[in-house]
Amino acid sequence: MALNRIIIVGAGVMGRGIAECIAATGTEVIILDRTASRALQGVEKIGENIDREIEKWGMTAADKRAILSRIAPSTDLQVVKEAYIVVEAIPEKKRLKLELIRKLDNLCPDETIFITNTATMSITELAAVTHRADKIIGMHFLNPVPKIPLVEIVRGLKTSDDTYRKTREFAELLGKTPILVNEYPGYVTTRIIVPLLNEAMHVLMEGVSTADDIDNAMKLGYGFNMGPLALADMIGLDVVMSWMENLLGELSEHKYNPCPILRKMVRAGNLGVKTGQGFFKYDAEGNRIRDNQNQESRS
Amino acid sequence: MNILVVNCGSSSVKYQFIEMEREFVLAKGLVSRIGMTGAVLTHKPHDRPEVKVTGEILDHIVAVQYVISILMSENHGVIKDKSEIAAVGHRVVHGGERFSESVLIDSEVMREIRQLIDLAPLHNPHNIRGINACMKTLPNAPQVAVFDTAFHHTMPPVSFIYGIPYVLYKRYGIRRYGFHGPSHYYVSTRAAAMRGKAYEDSKTITCHLGNGASITAVDGGKSVDTSMGFTPLEGLLMGTRCGDMDPAVILHIMGREELSLHEANTLLNKHSGLIGISGVSSDMREILSASNDSHTNAKLALEIYCYRLKKYIGSYIAAMNGLDNLVFTGGVGENSPDVRALTCQGMEYLGIKIDQNKNLAAKAVEADVAADDSRARILVIPTNEELVIARDTLRLMNHQKSNNPR
Repeated sequence: MALNRIIIVGAGVMGRGIAECIAATGTEVIILDRTASRALQGVEKIGENIDREIEKWGMTAADKRAILSRIAPSTDLQVVKEAYIVVEAIPEKKRLKLELIRKLDNLCPDETIFITNTATMSITELAAVTHRADKIIGMHFLNPVPKIPLVEIVRGLKTSDDTYRKTREFAELLGKTPILVNEYPGYVTTRIIVPLLNEAMHVLMEGVSTADDIDNAMKLGYGFNMGPLALADMIGLDVVMSWMENLLGELSEHKYNPCPILRKMVRAGNLGVKTGQGFFKYDAEGNRIRDNQNQESRS
Repeated sequence: MNILVVNCGSSSVKYQFIEMEREFVLAKGLVSRIGMTGAVLTHKPHDRPEVKVTGEILDHIVAVQYVISILMSENHGVIKDKSEIAAVGHRVVHGGERFSESVLIDSEVMREIRQLIDLAPLHNPHNIRGINACMKTLPNAPQVAVFDTAFHHTMPPVSFIYGIPYVLYKRYGIRRYGFHGPSHYYVSTRAAAMRGKAYEDSKTITCHLGNGASITAVDGGKSVDTSMGFTPLEGLLMGTRCGDMDPAVILHIMGREELSLHEANTLLNKHSGLIGISGVSSDMREILSASNDSHTNAKLALEIYCYRLKKYIGSYIAAMNGLDNLVFTGGVGENSPDVRALTCQGMEYLGIKIDQNKNLAAKAVEADVAADDSRARILVIPTNEELVIARDTLRLMNHQKSNNPR
């Protein structure tokens, strides 16, 4: 498999994470974004992410040089004309994704596989606007991509066996364990985690326990690495809410109705780690600030 | 008769092309950046200047094709036809307990090398890729695997069993294997030859000090103990590896710093040793120069490096009940009189006494640097792993011929 022609569209957090993973395997990758500064900044941020890994002994300065040397930023969509695989990682807005996929379909050679990185969108719907519905497949990576060993491979109605097999090989090259998902809203991970996070918020809102104790209960009691409220903070409360609204819209089930404190916090701009304030407080590096004086939860 | 010796890394192929009648290197070189843009083949024929060729070298198969074509090229080549490559010798890192010596490769051997990937996940897969590439490109040339671990196969269980439940040895093959076999073997035979003594009658300690470093006790021509263990992490302090320490330390650090297995592994293998202690470099030359400029931690790193080595030498003298030859080899061992001097300092009691003038003069040449009244000889011997691989390849090839005369 000629894996030296992989192109990622979108230098956001997911696109960067996927690019880092690919480059870490020794494979070259082009990362595209609309402006040169965004593409360049994408590569810089990958460098910053590796710096944090170096501090935690996970990588070395030599690894960083090697990885960055394999990632080329670009703004020229024409590069996809040579692509073997295009990974689309632009924001989760249907209109934008459909528009991009139409463009790619016109530019790419017939054999190019499109991988769309989405947590909730319908692969079948994206495939319907192209002439290659058999070569469109979803890969749902979880954030932070370099750290999470799982990827959900999502088959649309028309995705071919050959495309699935190649995508599985690609996942294994990246060192990820793939699970197969037959397209359905929320796939496996999002669909199961969302009601858990929401329920933890209800328990907090109803005054059953404090945020710290709720998280400890699930960590110690059920072996979660991270409690549900800290996890929601890490994912981003706005993201959690958009997942719920998508699921609610697709499935109309009451269990996907966002908890009122989630709505309230999102409206207030308390979005979790990225704003420094969610169910817990965080410093600029994203480390939890522990306030021993005030063990009370907030709502 | 010419033999091609190949050593494959993740994105590189190193090679030497050796004419066996004279054991003369006709050409050597390196393909690097395989699978990336700017992949490059650096090739040095013995009688002409070095050349660099860049090209689209997507995988190890294409890399081997590049090597073969440059060996046959009009301007830079040393042969005219593929058939002049009589056989290929491959360095394979891990031979496990299965391979006690080099073997001719067939499909059964390949299957067994593949099974050993668990023991050497970083190395064996690339070695396998190189073998496959050569089998495809040179289908008529016999291929031989020479293992890093094989020379240490003579170690007795007292040397290779760890003090953990025995069932783990049975279940997962957890034991000392040792590495750098071809190098320890080569310099220990050279030591006997330099002394004019039979290999079987010599007690030799070989210190292979390169980026990785290991030390071996060779008694009567057999490796009886070596410092690297289940992986190359154990034993001496190295450029970036910690070597021996209390195993509980890493468990403690993993807890305190919430490290994953991967992070802990990188900490011990890439952030420790000379670079970890000094913060200066993993390269002994830079450690020595910083130490001379009174950089406190560079000096400390140097002292720990030599002290650890000295302790191992003492323990191997005890293990063998004597010592005839102490050998220094590898980049540091061959080129650093300072490391040799510091290591041998204060070992007169054990029969080791260095001659400072001879020591200073010996760089990358075979030399005896011991004082005249030293009971053991201290030898500097440049290693030659490629030659060991080529000789084994030739031997197995001839053996095959005598068994299957055509």
